[in-house]
Amino acid sequence: MAVPATTSHILLAQSLPPRLLHFFTRFPPTTTNQTTPPPTDPSRKTNPFTPFLNPRTQRWHGPHYSLRRQADLFKLAQEHGVLPLMPMSAKHPEEKLRKRVEHGLRVKGTGEGQRVKGKLWERTLGTRLEVRRKAMERMPDMIDLWKERGHGMGWKKFPKGKGKVGTGRENEVFKTENRAMWVYERAGSSL
Amino acid sequence: MAKKAKSRTIAVRLISMAMTGYYKTFSRPRTHRPLSMLKYDPVGKREYQIAVYNWANAEMLDTVKRQVLFLEQKRGGGK
Repeated sequence: MAVPATTSHILLAQSLPPRLLHFFTRFPPTTTNQTTPPPTDPSRKTNPFTPFLNPRTQRWHGPHYSLRRQADLFKLAQEHGVLPLMPMSAKHPEEKLRKRVEHGLRVKGTGEGQRVKGKLWERTLGTRLEVRRKAMERMPDMIDLWKERGHGMGWKKFPKGKGKVGTGRENEVFKTENRAMWVYERAGSSL
Repeated sequence: MAKKAKSRTIAVRLISMAMTGYYKTFSRPRTHRPLSMLKYDPVGKREYQIAVYNWANAEMLDTVKRQVLFLEQKRGGGK
C-alpha cells in the first residue's frame, strides 16, 4: 500500500538533483533501505546495488548500478542529507568506514587490534639495547678488574660465542658480584 | 700422508664486552695466552638515530662509542 506523500517529502524530492530523484523513483526507499541477500525476485525490486540471481534461469546478473555510479549516488545522497534512505552497498560510507577500521590503511598490521610485525632488527632492538646498557653499566668494574689482574695476564674467563645477544651468555664472562667476591678474597688472603 | 704442520700463529677475534657485536681480529702466536685489550667500540650512533626517529622510548638508549674491554673469543674444538 502506497504511503501518501507529505509536504515535507515533496519538498525534499524537489530539492534533490535529477540523478538522485530518478534513482529514488526507480527504487523507492521503503523497499530498498535494508540489507538483503542477493535477490531472487525476478522483478528486481530489492537492493539494486547487489548482484542478482535469476531464479528461473539460474543466471547471475550484475547490479543495476556499477560501483562507480553507486559511489556517485552516495556522494550526492550525502550532500543532500538523504543517506539513510539509500540501500546498503560496498560504497556506503558506513560500510567503507567499517572496512577502514577492519583493514586499516591497507598496510598490513595497521588495523584495529593488529600490529606491524617489523623486521628482525626492529623486533630485537629493545632487547639488544637493554643488554648493551647493562653491559656498559658493569664495564667500569670489569675494566678495573682487568687492570688489577695485570691487564689480562690473570684473566681466566673468555667469551665463547660471538657476543650475540639472546644467547644467554651475556653474563658468563663477568658479573659485578664476582668482582666484589674476588676483591673480598684477595683482601682476605693478604691479611 | 703426513699431516700438514700447524702454523705458528693464529688469527683470533677479540669481542667487545659492551655486547654490541663489534669485534677486532688479531693474530697471535699459537702458544701465547689469550689476548685482551682496551679498544674503542664505535657502535651506537646508527641505533641511536633509528631509535630517535622510530621509537617513543628513546631514553633506554645507550650508545657506546668509547674505550671498552675486548676479550678474545674462545676457539672451537675443530681448530
